[in-house]
Amino acid sequence: MKRHLLIATTFLAAIVALGVAQRALQSAAPAQGTVTAPRFEVDPLWPKPLPNGWLMGMTIGVGVDDRDHVWIVHRPDTLSAAEAAADQDPPAAACCRRAPPVLEFDPDGNLAGHWGGPGEGYEWPGSNHGIFIDFKGNVWIGGNEAKDAHVLKFTRRGKFLMQFGRKGQSKGSHDTQNFGRVAKIFVDPRENEAYLADGYGNRRVAVIDADTGAFKRYWGAYGRPPSDENIGRYDPDAPPPQQFRTPVHCAELSNDGLVYVCDRPNDRIQVFRRDGTFVKEQFIARRTLGDGSVWDIAFSKDPQQKYLYLADGKNEKVYILDRETLAILTTFGGGGRQPGQFFGVHSIATDSKGNLYTTETYEGRRLQKFVFKGVGPVSANQGTAWPAKPDR
Amino acid sequence: MTRKVSFQLSAAALLAIAFGDARTPGIAAQASAGQAPTYQVDPLWPQPLRAPWILGSVTGIAVDARDHVWLVHRGMASLTARTEAGLATDPPTAETCCAPAPPVLEFDPAGALVGHWGGPGQGYDWPQSPGGMAVDGRGNVWITAGGMPAPARDAAQAAPPPPQDAHVLKFSRTGAFLLQIGKPGDTGDGASRTGLNRPVDVDVDTQANEVYIADGGGNNRVVVFDATTGAYKRHWPLTNASCVRIARDGLVYGCDRKNNRVQVSRKDGTVVSEAVIAKGTLGEGAVWDIAFSRDPQQQVLFVADGSNQKVWVLRRETLAVISSVGGGGRWPGHFYGVGSVAVDSRGNLYTGETYEGKRLQRFISTSMGTAEGARK
Repeated sequence: MKRHLLIATTFLAAIVALGVAQRALQSAAPAQGTVTAPRFEVDPLWPKPLPNGWLMGMTIGVGVDDRDHVWIVHRPDTLSAAEAAADQDPPAAACCRRAPPVLEFDPDGNLAGHWGGPGEGYEWPGSNHGIFIDFKGNVWIGGNEAKDAHVLKFTRRGKFLMQFGRKGQSKGSHDTQNFGRVAKIFVDPRENEAYLADGYGNRRVAVIDADTGAFKRYWGAYGRPPSDENIGRYDPDAPPPQQFRTPVHCAELSNDGLVYVCDRPNDRIQVFRRDGTFVKEQFIARRTLGDGSVWDIAFSKDPQQKYLYLADGKNEKVYILDRETLAILTTFGGGGRQPGQFFGVHSIATDSKGNLYTTETYEGRRLQKFVFKGVGPVSANQGTAWPAKPDR
Repeated sequence: MTRKVSFQLSAAALLAIAFGDARTPGIAAQASAGQAPTYQVDPLWPQPLRAPWILGSVTGIAVDARDHVWLVHRGMASLTARTEAGLATDPPTAETCCAPAPPVLEFDPAGALVGHWGGPGQGYDWPQSPGGMAVDGRGNVWITAGGMPAPARDAAQAAPPPPQDAHVLKFSRTGAFLLQIGKPGDTGDGASRTGLNRPVDVDVDTQANEVYIADGGGNNRVVVFDATTGAYKRHWPLTNASCVRIARDGLVYGCDRKNNRVQVSRKDGTVVSEAVIAKGTLGEGAVWDIAFSRDPQQQVLFVADGSNQKVWVLRRETLAVISSVGGGGRWPGHFYGVGSVAVDSRGNLYTGETYEGKRLQRFISTSMGTAEGARK
């Protein structure tokens, strides 16, 4: 009897230990029931239709400037001949045409500016990727085609200012002249430094002077030197990977000086200080394979940036996290082509009023606006963030 | 002066003339006052499908007598496994999204999903790729086996095997199989009494109990069968036959898609008239599907145009274009591959998009011009 009890107790302890171990390996558990969090509703009729029969291809970057103008960069060359039928010679139909790659919308959703493409004095990316408007109002663009080893800086009107790195010149994750298919850029107004999510080729965060391009520092996962050795496919049951897995997809600096890095196919956020000192990490939807779950990050607009918004283009949702604990409070979205749904939600940004903007790559190809409705009680799993519909 | 201006605008003006209407795409039809029905997109209809379901390319839509809206879509065959259907792969690559919804979906007027069925089963051959659909006066649901597009091949290659999609299926509204006309691979030709070749669309004359099939994937005809027995009745030629719709006055409207042409005939196939829409359109053409307004005279005819990405609004008697709805894009009220159109009893317009459009959309009737009065 005593012996049986001992066995049973041992067995129980083993189960508990196993459970604890497993729990430690799990990602941030989705919250349940009702939570207090920012609430959003999609604005289905924002922005206004583009003029000139213009269409957007894969829309792979969104940024907001200090006037709350919303900027996107897309890939016009991803539109098929049939879809851009009016661009054919002769035109096959009256609709549609490829819009210029950089589009600027005013807060009412009117198209306020458009430019981009090859020009004198710079190398336009082979595959546009990521857009950021810095505190001086200048526009930064990355690129993720195989030879894209550079970032570009323009005025808001599209006048070329600087190119950092040269196309085709990447020498890997320790190169201090060139980059490796940069996904996204963030400029720190305090230090005037640009943080590069580097990228689709390299496995690092790189920091440069935002005016001179002078190379400052770089680091890999856990703040250690990056390595370009092939680490194979992501395995959710393996110990946490010791390297970033390409693409390193965002590097966003908070007001309190923390750098949040999207380690996309590794399904995790890693947090660093400005100097690259590792602070912590959090896995999100950890069983996600392939493209991964951690695509892009934006912060809430309160001075403390209490909330972190995370776009997941694989599970087609936006997570709202408590920034301090990195716990998931709630999610919204869902797959589909209707307002508030996503196909390849790739990029996310906030304006001064706290509104959220998303863009979709693949065949989603939209810019969408989610209106901030204040912080309050909300379901932990909101589904599609639709406004209440008036009875007809 | 006038001349000078017109010269300056010549390129755009020529395009506008060639395509009938090249205005900036808008959310609602820009019709002249009192002339044509106007519409406003209902961006929050239908309600989101339950997770993790998503739509593939929508190939057919229909509205039944209860104003329920039906669609059929291509499901997994039209979804990109790597990026779009992470829960439908083995092993799954995503945690929470997405997987194809069942092929046949039924929505009530509020946009709630109230029925879903379809796929392979006993006693019939589910299409490799569904095509058009109709709900007849008895509430039965008809779906064509529209087939996949023929693969490109060079002349030296042997002829490809006959397409498997060569039939039409009839189900009850709850999905019980009732009838199959045609057999997989048995395509016949333009004179066949049994074979169909990737039929694109279907409509039913409930009173005469006859089913009309746009047999346009290879046979270039409209063919009529008994709607209960499937017995052959008659047929007549129609190139690219990609839709067929029977009006209350007994006229039969067919789509000659790639020739941008609407053909009007009597039920015996006698051609009455025809009209060309957006005649400069190349490639896949401008005339993809047809629907009628619900006023007693059905004075308005709608043409879905998946090339110019709009629904043309025509006066049925003259076949003159009086307005259009839509424009290209992914936002509400815009289209990519709008290939299906239908109307409910309140005059609301519904569209289905194929390709990467993959939506069912509703446009609320906001006014009726002097000629229509379909709403009341």
